[in-house]
Parts: sequence; structure tokens; C-alpha cells
Amino acid sequence: MHTLFYIWRNLKRNKLRSTLTILSVGFSLALMTVLNGYMAMQGVWGKEAEKKHRIVVMNSQGFSGMLPISYVDRIRGTEGIKAATPYAWYGGNYKEEQMPFAQFGCDPKAAFDVWDEFSIAPQQLAEFQKTRNGCVVDRRLADKRGWKIGERIPLQGTFYRFNLDLVLCGMFDAPQSTDSLWFNWLYLDEGMREMNTPGTGNAGTIFARVSQAESMASVSQRIDERFASSDNPTRTQTEAAFAQMFTDMLGNVQAYIRNIGLAVVFSLSLVAANAMAMSMRERTTEIAVLKAIGFSRRRVLVTILGEACSITLLGGLLGIFIGCVCLELLHTLSSQIMLLSVFEMFGPWLVYLLATAAGIGLVSGIVPAVRAAQLSVIDGLRRVV
Amino acid sequence: MIPVKYNVRNLRVRWVTTLMTVVGTGLVVWATVLTFGLTDGLDHALRISGDRLDLIVLRKGTTEETSSNIDQKVAKEIANLDGIATDSSGQPLCSSEFVTILTKPRRNNGGTTNLIVRGLQDVGRGLRPGFKIVRGRDVRIGVNEAITSDRMAERFENLAIGEKLEINKIHFEIVGYFEAAGSSAESEVWTDLRDLTGARRTPEALSAVNLRCRDEAAKTALLKRIRDDEQFKLDAMDEPAYFERQMSASIAIKFVGFAIAIFLTMGAMFAAANTMYAAIASRGREIGALRAIGFSRRSILTSFLFESVLLCLLGGLLGCLATLPFNGLSTGTANWATFSEITFAFRFGPSVLFRGVLMALTMGLVGGLFPALRAVRMPIISALRET
Repeated sequence: MHTLFYIWRNLKRNKLRSTLTILSVGFSLALMTVLNGYMAMQGVWGKEAEKKHRIVVMNSQGFSGMLPISYVDRIRGTEGIKAATPYAWYGGNYKEEQMPFAQFGCDPKAAFDVWDEFSIAPQQLAEFQKTRNGCVVDRRLADKRGWKIGERIPLQGTFYRFNLDLVLCGMFDAPQSTDSLWFNWLYLDEGMREMNTPGTGNAGTIFARVSQAESMASVSQRIDERFASSDNPTRTQTEAAFAQMFTDMLGNVQAYIRNIGLAVVFSLSLVAANAMAMSMRERTTEIAVLKAIGFSRRRVLVTILGEACSITLLGGLLGIFIGCVCLELLHTLSSQIMLLSVFEMFGPWLVYLLATAAGIGLVSGIVPAVRAAQLSVIDGLRRVV
Repeated sequence: MIPVKYNVRNLRVRWVTTLMTVVGTGLVVWATVLTFGLTDGLDHALRISGDRLDLIVLRKGTTEETSSNIDQKVAKEIANLDGIATDSSGQPLCSSEFVTILTKPRRNNGGTTNLIVRGLQDVGRGLRPGFKIVRGRDVRIGVNEAITSDRMAERFENLAIGEKLEINKIHFEIVGYFEAAGSSAESEVWTDLRDLTGARRTPEALSAVNLRCRDEAAKTALLKRIRDDEQFKLDAMDEPAYFERQMSASIAIKFVGFAIAIFLTMGAMFAAANTMYAAIASRGREIGALRAIGFSRRSILTSFLFESVLLCLLGGLLGCLATLPFNGLSTGTANWATFSEITFAFRFGPSVLFRGVLMALTMGLVGGLFPALRAVRMPIISALRET
């Protein structure tokens, strides 16, 4: 207890230096918090997605490949599948804006069974199923755009030659912002047939829900085997693995973030060690006095290490706080990049960051602490600083 | 003026502290410059891909070749338009091309990503900057062969010479590597136009037309001609504008780069301030003496600021130097405009290094300002009296 009090008093002795070190550690750790938080978010997102028991079927060649619409019914007939819907990325422009939100062609009768955690008023869903050119949107998107039920939403196709003229039938609530609009896949396909353009009958991707978590792998395998020898072989994976594909596209970002993190940690250790060494140099005589009046080596060691760790821990707390504020800000600004709020992803990664801060303290304090502990009382008292 | 030597000596006498601060700021600058070098390399690859006189013709409403499609009939009409440059044999430099995206695995378990495969004819090669085959040979038509760059061969499974890339169960043998002055063409696999559309089972399909204009005046005329034609329903843009769009799609990486720079500069600023405060605190008597023998407040302020800047600049230079081994190292990421892999080389040009030095300068100036002000404000008598 006394030691703690002593550490605290020492911290407050050179307030300026302690503050500067804390701020230095704080800002750098804030950066690490943001970077690590982003990675943690992807982990949490993947785990969440895993719980929904959804699988995604696509052409084994990738997004540009054909996935015949007849596959939807054949997948529905596969044992273990509860519901399935085509899910075609339209990627159109809204008025003058280039692809301002996501648009998917789906089966209105099945979509809300596949995404059963999304909720929509029954009469709005019925309206969507009835209206050929109807669409539903995420409530947050509708609020952002100020859309009301009955609103006309024209979308200009980019790679689809058929332009959509949609009517808003309903709004759905999703646990996380999806920023998407769903319309009837048939409306798009019939439009293209009328125009006689190639590429009709393509489901794009197929999303399906499996009844049990355990059967996800076996059902996926069964689907792929079934279509393997057809003209359009499929690649089926869990929704989490599907999302991982997009992360993979970035390249080895994780390694990059880790390397930046390492450089920052190393540089911080130097900064903190420097500050500790400076403050020890000024206190040589004082430490000799402490030892002369009977402080044990161990206690001197613990005191100084404790001081170093307290500084970096305080910096760590500050940094994590700033970092979390930044992450939350990013989430409010763009829920497409930062899918989750910070509050939904508190977890071990924060502890890991604090441990890093404490580790930096230990490393930075070790040399001054050992030197102080080994200081001979006579030398220390004699030294003039 | 206080001689510069005074500062240099001071840094040398306190060499442990100096070294730690220099290495600390150096690492921070290194990490940041590395990020800038990455985004600059990406921008560079896209910038040199565009030729001022080259036009890309796409379907109206699209901005990317990957999402465009054009009728063969229309493409032929475009080739006959007036104002298109011709090659030595009198052929118009106008290339109809088909682009498709395949999801393929990277080497070393790097996950899967999208790969651009382009089908084109001979004339298209002349439209790329510095196209040449550097290993193996070019493709023969009608026998499902393909060429790519050695960087792509390193990054993707099945893209090395002799290996076979599967497209809809048809195997394309890689027969050579090409170079195109580091442009974005080097992130693609090339094969014959009809071999590719055949494999894709869309025999008539075309994505875009690339053409070179005779001169600026012809370019203006052609742009207007193609855009205004009601029958065509096409859009044309010059290549610099096309690639400018792709550059802006990587805004997220740039944002991350700047965020890293700002956070780390702040952190390092406080570290520099710490070092300078300590340097000044232990030199109270010296400062008093300097004042007593007649150095003005201003020259003392300048001197300490200079010392702080020198300290951080040393770190900055060290950090910039440490990035040099990475220069030219190839890497890749997603081009968010095409949703596919783009490979490029890290690039530490003058502007990137300048940003690193600027960062160090900011650390030094801001970090040194308050300590230097404190040094100046000390009354002579009490400064001289300090132990």
C-alpha cells in the first residue's frame, strides 16, 4: 500500500513529463486501438454471421459467372435447407449518384425466411410480394433519404441494361445497418427478356438458410457435388466465409497492421524508457537515501517498475478511450466500413491492448529499475547531478 | 546567433537520450512513409496507365469495363469513325476487348480474390504503354493460350508459365510474361478475344472499345460524336479520366494512411517535447550564462527550436532511409473500382519522402516550441542559480 502511494507521488512529481509521456503513449495506442478494433470487428461479425446458419452459393468462377435461376428450386429441395432466395447484385445508379447503396434482386416470398432476424410489418411484406416492381429498404436507409411508403425509386442499370422503376412497399428492421434495397428478381429478369438482352435467368448468388449449424458443411458439400458436372459448377460457403472473401481481397492487411503495430510498440518503448531514464537520473541521490534508510532492493525495483507501468497504463487507458471514440465515430459516419458499434464488440482485444501498454511500461522501466536497485548507497550519495 | 555547433555537441553529449529519441521518431516516420509509399505506388500504376489521346468507350451508365457491354455491330461502326490514329500498316488503332472477372486463389494461402482476364486482339497491344513480352512468347489464336505479368504469376496459383488457368472448365495455358511499363495492364491475364468469349459461352460479347485519337482536335470530335449518338447509347472518356476514377476508389487506403500519420505525429510530438524539456531543465545554468553574456532571447529560442528540429529530422531521415529496401517491392490489393486484384510496386518518390520529412519537421517544431519558450522565459538570476 505504501509502495503504491509512493509510486503515485513520484508520478505527480514531474507532472509535465508524466503528462507528455502519457499523451505520447495515448496517441500511439489510440491508433493501435483503431486498427485492432477493425480486425476485431471482422472477427465478431464472422461469429455473428455463423449463428444465422446461412450459406451462399455462387458460380465457382466468381461473381461474373452464371448461376441459373433453376438452381434456387433445386437447392430448396436439398435436404437440410429451410429457405433459399436468389440474391442478384444490381449495382445501379440512383438519379445522378453512382451506386449510393446496395440493391439486390431477391424472391420476396423467401427473402425474409432466409434473413429471419429481419422484421417487417406483415401487410408491407404482402404488398411487396404482390407488387411486381415493389421494393423494400432498410429503415435506416429510408430515414436517411427521407423516403415514404409509395415513393418511386428509379434505378439506372450499369451492367444490367434494364432500368428499374421501383415503388417502395415497406421498410424492414435489421439488427445492424445493411444499407440495402431489395426488389423482386422476376421484375428484372422479365424486363431483360422483353429487351432481348443476354444474361437472363441468372440468379447472381443464392443465399440459403440451413436448419442446423452442424449440417452447414455437409449441405454445402452436397450442393457443390450436385452441380459439379453441370455447365455451371458452384462454390458454396458459409456467410462468414463469404464475407471473409472480401477481406481477403484487400491482401495481407492483417500482416501490414501487425507490422505497423510492432513498429509503434517498439518506438513507444524507446520513448517511455527515455522518459524513465531521465527521471531516474535526476533522482539518483534520492534513491541512495531510500536505500540508506533501509528500503530493500526489491522494493526499489518494484517502485520504479510500478511507476513506469502506471505511466504507460494510464497512456494505454487514454489511448483505448480515444481509439474507441474514433471507432464509434467511424461507425456513425459509415456503417458500411465499420459494421458494428464499439459497444457490440468489447472483448479480449481490449485487454490485449492494455497488456501491451503494461508490457511497454515493464520494458521501459527495467533498465532504470535494475540500475537503481544495484546502486551502491555510497556512490549514489556522492554523485552530483 | 548561437553557433550550430553548440546544439550538435549537446545532442552528442546526451547521446543515449538522443539516440532513443531519434530511433523512436525514426520508426514512427518509417511506418508512415511505408503507408504513403503503398498508396503512391497504387496511384502511380493507375496514372501511367492512361494515355491522353486514348479513349475508352463503354455502355452509357457504366464507368468500368468490367460492368460494360457493347454490341459487335456498334464496335465495328466505331472503328470506322473518323479521327482514329492508324498504325504503320494503316490499321486503325481501335481495339474491341472483352473483360471478365474470375475468383481465383492467391499463392501461399493468401485467400481468394478476383482476377481480371482480358480478351483482345493484336491491335490492343499497341495501345498499352511499353508492351513487350519479357519471357516465353505471345499467345497463338484459337488454341486457348494466355499471357500475364511475372508479378501476377508470383501472386496467383496457376499463373506461372506452363501452368493452366481454368475458365469454365477450359484450360488456358500460360505461355509468356509481358510488361507494360508498370501500368495496370500488368495486373491482368491476356488471351485472345474469341478464345475467351468462347470459354465464357458469350461468343458475341464485347465489354469496351479502346482507341487512340489522331490528335487533340480529333479527340474532342470523337468524344462528342460517340457520346451524342442516340443509336450507340455509349459513353466515352479519355483514359486519364477513367483511371482517375479508379484512383479515387482507393480513398479508404489513403484515409488510413493519413490517420496513421496524424496519430503517430501527435504521439511523437509529445515524445520530442519530453526530450527537449529534459534537455532544457538540465541546462538552466547554461541558458542563464548565455543570456548573461548577451545572447538575445530570440537567438536562444531559435537555437533550442533548431536543436529540436535537428533531433527529429535525424529521426525522419533515418525513417525515410529505412524504407528504401522496400522501394520497388511489389505488392497488391483490391482495386475497389473493378473489385479485383491490382498489383503494383511500393514507390518512395520525392513527394512521399518529403511528406515523411515534413512530419519529422512538425514533430520537431511543435515538440520543441514549448520547451524553448520555457528556456527563454527563465529570469537570468534564477537560471544562473539553478543547480
